[in-house]
Amino acid sequence: MQTKEFKIQWGMVIDIDKCTGCGACMVGCQVENNIAPMTKKDPYNYVQALTTDRDDAANKLKTLTWMNVYELTNGETFPNHETAYLPRPCMQCGNPACVPVCPVVATEKNEEGGIVSQIYPRCIGCRYCMAACPYHARYFNWFDPLWPEGMDKGLSPSTSVRPRGVVEKCSFCHSRYLDAKDKARQDGDDPMNLADGAYNTACADICPTKAITFGDLNNPEHKVHELAKSKNSYRLLEKLGLAPQVYYMSEREWVRELGDNNNADGGGHGAPSKSHG
Amino acid sequence: MSVARRAFIQMSVGATVGILFTPTVWTALDDVSIWTQNWPWIPSLKYGEVKGVPTVSKMCESGCAVKVRTVAGEAFGTEGNMDNPLSGGGICPLCANGVQVMNSPTRIKAPMLNGKEISWDDANKLVSEKLAAAGSKVAVISGDQTGTVNEVFSGLLASQGSDAFYSMPSDMQAADKAWTGLMGGSGQIGYDMENADVVLLAGADALESWGPTVANMKAFANNENGKFIFAGPMQTRTASVTSKWVPVPAEGMAAFTLGITYYVLQAGKSVPAADFDQFKAMVISGYTPAKVEAATGVKADAMAEIAKQLLAADNPVVVPGGSVAANGAAFALNLLLGGAMKVLPEFGKAVETAMTRSEMLKQDILKGVSADVLMVYEANPFYALPEQVKGAFTVAFDSVETETTAAADLVLPTPHAYERADDLATPYGVASATYSLGVPVSKPTLNVMNAADFVLGLADLGFENFDEVLEAKVTAVGADMDELAEGAAYVLEESADVSGVTLAASVLGKAAVPVKGTGAVALAPYTLLNVGTANQATTPNAPCTISNNQLIGDNMVVMMASATAKKLGVGVGSKVKLSGGNGDCEALVQVFEGVLPGVVAAPLGMGHTVGDEFSKGKGDNVYKILTVSSEAAAGASTWAGSTVNVAKI
Repeated sequence: MQTKEFKIQWGMVIDIDKCTGCGACMVGCQVENNIAPMTKKDPYNYVQALTTDRDDAANKLKTLTWMNVYELTNGETFPNHETAYLPRPCMQCGNPACVPVCPVVATEKNEEGGIVSQIYPRCIGCRYCMAACPYHARYFNWFDPLWPEGMDKGLSPSTSVRPRGVVEKCSFCHSRYLDAKDKARQDGDDPMNLADGAYNTACADICPTKAITFGDLNNPEHKVHELAKSKNSYRLLEKLGLAPQVYYMSEREWVRELGDNNNADGGGHGAPSKSHG
Repeated sequence: MSVARRAFIQMSVGATVGILFTPTVWTALDDVSIWTQNWPWIPSLKYGEVKGVPTVSKMCESGCAVKVRTVAGEAFGTEGNMDNPLSGGGICPLCANGVQVMNSPTRIKAPMLNGKEISWDDANKLVSEKLAAAGSKVAVISGDQTGTVNEVFSGLLASQGSDAFYSMPSDMQAADKAWTGLMGGSGQIGYDMENADVVLLAGADALESWGPTVANMKAFANNENGKFIFAGPMQTRTASVTSKWVPVPAEGMAAFTLGITYYVLQAGKSVPAADFDQFKAMVISGYTPAKVEAATGVKADAMAEIAKQLLAADNPVVVPGGSVAANGAAFALNLLLGGAMKVLPEFGKAVETAMTRSEMLKQDILKGVSADVLMVYEANPFYALPEQVKGAFTVAFDSVETETTAAADLVLPTPHAYERADDLATPYGVASATYSLGVPVSKPTLNVMNAADFVLGLADLGFENFDEVLEAKVTAVGADMDELAEGAAYVLEESADVSGVTLAASVLGKAAVPVKGTGAVALAPYTLLNVGTANQATTPNAPCTISNNQLIGDNMVVMMASATAKKLGVGVGSKVKLSGGNGDCEALVQVFEGVLPGVVAAPLGMGHTVGDEFSKGKGDNVYKILTVSSEAAAGASTWAGSTVNVAKI
């Protein structure tokens, strides 16, 4: 399959050796992108006696976590046990699995920058894209987004609120990209050559250990350009050939192996993978 | 007029054909299908200028320096403040949800006396009468570790002739008791983790819940070549990124630290302290690596290796967490190593009659509080210490409903941190004395009053309102009001005097001996900021960040190594009852090999009985099963050494 070439390729390099799994990125992401807290009661449901309560955040199959932190373990017993945390946004794949399966072209990889779009009003909620995405980066809105009384006045201007029945996902805080380009135009700079840091995602901004570095992978002046090429960098499930624009780094070999990178050079299916099981 | 049969048939056929051709029916059907699926409530976004207004947030224990993001003047989000060394751009997961808590329906809307709304004037009259009757039997419990609001409360106590100022149990308190109490030091201990080359976190979960977490994380991130080692009973989130985890039981932390000190003394290190010889003799005879290994289970080789690294380092630092003895042992070791431990001076006071910070930390809340009038400021002792706290008449100042506001006689709503002026002076653990100011970002929408303003209305402390107190504080600090208001912090690179400090040899020798309860397994309580702290429950957007290792459905999850699970006859998903202290907790079992065998790790901060739907009824309250034991030699109380019995249910 051909990978579409872009002059700008927005991407992340996430240093797992710096991530403590604190969850600030997940909270920051929800606030930025108007993801409603999960409430059990729906005050607008006038037939509550006939229906069951909605799920709260305890049901991780129904939460909307565009950015999700996974816990990794090396599988050893005490005292050789080690643990690590892996934040997972949308990988914005160079060759996305979700795009070709969408029957209504609600998700595309077309815009300069290489961000995979999600057009909510066009989405019919068939969830083919969710089945196709090997990173579980896509989420279905099972419920109407509802903010407890009074909390809806503090909505972020960045992202429109999505109704139930559509699929949504991380957009690399796309409206921040638009804002950065607008600002560059106002300042007389080239919007197609933004300085490092002019456009940054909410999760990267908020991270207390700066484990997430964001920038243009193609721009040598951006930090991610070098970081992505460092010897400890890898991508998740690289053997699938989806060419994610999100890279991870770890000095720990077992962490890199869990990324299933040991077949990156084309070992193909069936090659031994000791980190599974 | 009669209708003939033919006319009736003609009309029926006409009507049928008419209905088939008119679009009305089909449009109506279409509309019904659309409108029955439509949102009953359509959220609309506000557009306008987006700004980041610098202020401080007090939701986590040490406080975060933040910028509140506003759109057309309405606050919507929180981000870090690059210009403030406490943040460096990052914030913690609690403060990240600050605006949502500010707009939460659990905010207290007006002053309430036993469930009935009263006016501020009546509240003032009532509290004045109660204070007059109580005389010196007045106590204050504060949940704020860094604010000048404490000086106002302390000034009120002074005017009543009371010194009963209590803070909630904290690492700052244990450190102060060790440093100023046992060792005769002055000022506040800090740790320069950013410039240290070896950092031993001896029980301090510094990158998750200990001290100024965000500043620690920033220091960790900026310290490219430093080696971080974590010692503690479980592999915390801090341990997931440090180069090494040394499993040490919580009650053995002081002995472990003295075990390392043994090697450092053997290498010839000394300090000009009056009791150095006594200290050296105590460690060399009482805390030999073999003895420490026997008492704590930590291998002598492990201590030798750490001592070697600390000795080889140019700028090492040991950061303690836990009991007073563990703090004292670490300070003594730091003095011997001469590394990156700092002693920070305290800023001048605004309220003349107020206590110093160290004086405010002297009272031991774990020993119990009893008063005729008890004032609680933004703390939740009725959740974390229900057995210790008794007040004949309790006044709770808080912005949201908690167990404490539910139990209090009088509830006085405070503005949320983003709605008020506040300050943040040198959170415990930072490397330099630091002062930040918080300005109101949003206008209060509820009938609230700054607690300090209310207190200034009760006693004449020489100030009309809290703004004047803050101005006096800024002057006493020597900072510039305008720069502070723009979000910059005032940083003082001075050190306090350490001459005359002793190593507390006589006390540490006894206090460092591990003391453990009698239960079947040791309890390792741990704090995760996204789960909540003693004073702050989890926030609206945080529950989906809480992992299955802490909470499944409404059940708390406790973690233990497979060896412990086998010994207790439980497995993954077993429902168990943990009994300890004076209570019990229910939990599900998770096997996590990052817990010392013989220890069960349980998350603090859940099991609220009052609050919003995000925290209420979620998990169980581990504070119920903590055992308060007396650190007799150190004259303090501790939760370290708590044990529990585990029964399968």
